[in-house]
Amino acid sequence: MNRYILIVLMFLVSIDAQATDDVSEKSLVQELLKEVRALRKEVDSLKADRNIKQKELVQEVQTIKKAQIENAQAIEDVNEYTEEVEANSFKDKLDFGLGFKTNLDNFTKKYASGRKVSSNNVWSNKLMLNMKADISDDMNFYGRLSMFKYWGTSNVHKYTYYDNMQGRAPSNSALYVERAYLNWFLFQDSFLPLSFTIGRQPSSDGPSNQFKDNVLRKGTYSGLLYDGAADGIVLTANLSTVLDNPGTYLRLGYAKGYAYNESENDVGNAFIGASNNDIEDTNVFGVFLDTTIPNIDNSLVQISYSRMIDIVANPLDANTTENENIGDVDLYGAMVEFTNFNNSNLDLFAHYGHSVAHPNGKGYRNYGGLLSSNGDTSDKSGDSIWLGSRYGFGKKQRFKVGLEYNHGSENWINLTQGSFDIYNKLATRGDAYEAYLMYVINRYANIRLGYVNVNYDYTGSGWFVGESKKINSSVDNADTTVENLESIYLKMNVNF
Amino acid sequence: MIKKTFLILTFIFYSNLYANEDAAKTMVHKLSLSAGSKAIKQWERIFSSIKKMKRYKIDTLNSGEKEILKEYLINHAIDSDQPTVAGI
Repeated sequence: MNRYILIVLMFLVSIDAQATDDVSEKSLVQELLKEVRALRKEVDSLKADRNIKQKELVQEVQTIKKAQIENAQAIEDVNEYTEEVEANSFKDKLDFGLGFKTNLDNFTKKYASGRKVSSNNVWSNKLMLNMKADISDDMNFYGRLSMFKYWGTSNVHKYTYYDNMQGRAPSNSALYVERAYLNWFLFQDSFLPLSFTIGRQPSSDGPSNQFKDNVLRKGTYSGLLYDGAADGIVLTANLSTVLDNPGTYLRLGYAKGYAYNESENDVGNAFIGASNNDIEDTNVFGVFLDTTIPNIDNSLVQISYSRMIDIVANPLDANTTENENIGDVDLYGAMVEFTNFNNSNLDLFAHYGHSVAHPNGKGYRNYGGLLSSNGDTSDKSGDSIWLGSRYGFGKKQRFKVGLEYNHGSENWINLTQGSFDIYNKLATRGDAYEAYLMYVINRYANIRLGYVNVNYDYTGSGWFVGESKKINSSVDNADTTVENLESIYLKMNVNF
Repeated sequence: MIKKTFLILTFIFYSNLYANEDAAKTMVHKLSLSAGSKAIKQWERIFSSIKKMKRYKIDTLNSGEKEILKEYLINHAIDSDQPTVAGI
């Protein structure tokens, strides 16, 4: 009986256990289902989020694409505009630059007789319209139109008619063509590039005149030998590569110093120019070597020789019965110049010139022949030196001080008649001193206060005609022969 | 007197011996700049804006170097003063 009871009990217990197991399984399944539902919900929500984000992304991409299209359009517009600007830039075939000088001079002249004359408060302006055109890769053009006049007068100065002084000497308010030349470049990629410079040459304001104007080199030839306008042709050979030295150029030049041109030679309306049996044209030939000193930055060395053949006594005198070719002149030169020597703010230069005049014995009226008296055919040699320095104070070099000295001997003659300084001090047969203080206003403008003192030892400085004579109280025309010239000046110079 | 003159001349010659030009050229090369590609005003504009200096990596230089570089770039800008000589 007990056994049965035990068996029944065991059966009941096992049924109960099974029932308990069923219950826990159910609840587990339910929980799992719950979780699955929750997960599904989450997945659905994520899907929904993703869809929203996808939509947003699509929208964003569309916006970007739209912006891109708009930007492309804008770039296209900018390109069109840039091309228009570029086209206009190409259309502007000539670039203009400005040079402008205002001068206040106070002169005192002392004559050999002892008489003194002062000209104070003398104002003048010089306007320079500098032109440049890049015609092509192998050709460019430079020009300069100049007006140089005293304040308050437009009288045409007689020297204005000298070809080399047009726009260089104070005169009326007319614009003169001071420079107009083409540079034609050949073999630029070869070891020996060549160029021709044809026209009215950059033969004025040459080294080392640039220091006083606080600009870079503005002319080709040593300022002690040549200064003024000149028509000619120059062949420049760039020897920098051949000689392995930068800034080395050999120049061969030809210029016409004087050409006879009178109406008697006209044919119909054609103004055919020079042809006269009595007066030959003055022709000038020259050879010039520019180079630099190795390992010295911003140095310039120039050695030159030129010959002026058939110098005409008075280029303004068309009277062929009086006017004459009076001989030839040889001009030798050597110069060295350092800009900002060794980064010391110091500029230094030294020029030497040697002239040999060969008079042919012919004279002009009673003035005499080439640096000689009528009938004299002996050679006349002269020498000149020009030394100078300029120093800039401080890092910005706002203030600069300059000193110059030049000396010319009895028969010194050069071609600086077109010099900007109206006393042509570098032609002096005697001694000239100049000191100045410069204030640099800005990159383009400066003011200069200076003093010049010129002591003339011999007559005829800068003149080809007539014998040079010692200046003293007994010299001919002592009352009109200047023995000493002083000038205190204030100059403003703008170069833009 | 001679000694004083000598000292003054020595001072003048060696007061600014640092070759700014060479230093500037090195910087120009390093930063791949070309002075002649811009006008003076454009270089001035670049040096007056930190953002623009960053674009050309000029901001990596110290103020002394910047000054040397600026002077060089302006002196060699497309519209800077150039020598006028026949055949060049």
